[in-house]
Amino acid sequence: MGGKVTCTLGEVKQRADFIIYWGGNPAECHPRHFTKYTIMQKSKFLPRGRKDRTMVLVDIRETKSVKAADIFLQVKPGKDFELITILRALVKDQAVSDEQIAETGLTREVLDDLVQRMKAAKFGCLFFGMGLSMTRGKHMNSAALLTLAAEMNAFTKFVAMPMRGHGNVTGADVIMRWQTGYPFGISFNRGYPRYNPGEFSTVDVLVRGDCDAAFIIGADPGATMPQPAINHLKRIPTIVLDPHVTHTSRLARVHITTAAQGIGAGGTAYRMDEIPMPLKPALKSPYPTDEYVVRRLNEAVAAKPFWLPEGKVPPMLTAQV
Amino acid sequence: MTSSDFSQALLVTSKRFILNSSRTSKQGTLINVGKESPEYRALTNTVTMAAEDMAEIGLAAGQMALVRTEFGEAAFKAEAGKVPQGMIFIPYGPPTCQLMGGDTDGTGMPTSKGWEVDVVPL
Repeated sequence: MGGKVTCTLGEVKQRADFIIYWGGNPAECHPRHFTKYTIMQKSKFLPRGRKDRTMVLVDIRETKSVKAADIFLQVKPGKDFELITILRALVKDQAVSDEQIAETGLTREVLDDLVQRMKAAKFGCLFFGMGLSMTRGKHMNSAALLTLAAEMNAFTKFVAMPMRGHGNVTGADVIMRWQTGYPFGISFNRGYPRYNPGEFSTVDVLVRGDCDAAFIIGADPGATMPQPAINHLKRIPTIVLDPHVTHTSRLARVHITTAAQGIGAGGTAYRMDEIPMPLKPALKSPYPTDEYVVRRLNEAVAAKPFWLPEGKVPPMLTAQV
Repeated sequence: MTSSDFSQALLVTSKRFILNSSRTSKQGTLINVGKESPEYRALTNTVTMAAEDMAEIGLAAGQMALVRTEFGEAAFKAEAGKVPQGMIFIPYGPPTCQLMGGDTDGTGMPTSKGWEVDVVPL
């Protein structure tokens, strides 16, 4: 398993006649997704818009997105991996027992119909949300879904795309990827990047108490991370750059108010399909930008003697400082 | 509530539920009002569950309920809603953080959905 068969949202808008949302609730979490890119748009290849597209929703509960779906599949909680694996088998006409299907909370008729529709589509797209990646199975669920999308290309064009949340989280992954080769969970403490989720990822580092300071830019882990991680942020000197007062800024030793991206500060944000979008500030902000503050901090840190006893910077670091 | 009181309450009315924490559109708009606002706090301190489940454990709409995991506990105001039986729904927020454990199973991603919790009326 590995790799992601994907496309841009522009291609989805122009061509996708079969769309599956899995473990996501776009009606509430991505309210413009339907209207801007997926089911409502009319295009050159799908001139009748909604009538030319089929939307399937897979979730463990009936969310507000159900109203927009043509087909709703209510999978049993924690059975996403099993369902994806069964679909992968059915797509390839492999044997699956009724007991195995019943375990997912769905029926053979429903799954056969889904597989038939997937194969009959001209351009299928699987969007997956945190209902898949934050339940039991986690990245294995996502990997299984990406594999399903890849394998569907033996029959028709099929792609997959994660439903990224919050502002510019995709940007953080993309930038880390092209700078280091890894998307997250990276340690620089040897002077070169090392990747190991579960060891160097933020939650794990905080929960184990490995770090003795934290620098947080435009995020609110104080309202989203597990309590043991929040407790460590309270114990250590935490510095926050954020336009707003947040739960994290309240527990931080230092909070520097910065201009809001796209409103008072320019820059680049990455859309969930990894397309960089320029941001033009509409208003002039009295606050500095995140970039300005980070540059000033870098300059101040660079002006100090290096932390090694002899005070000499290793050559591999000189380019980065 | 002491642990012995809690154990006693568990014997009488507790039931294991699957916790499904998620985001709502109302929560998204309230972030702009402020995470410290009374509306945001009220939203993230509300547990939604099936009316049948509430009746089964003797929980009335508007009553406080203690949700407990092996890692922590927090009190939420109960309301009936369109949630499958055996499942409870809570919008993400500081109260759900208290229920989450720090182990990521080596993935870097904490489990924030689909884990078993006890719900006890207060």
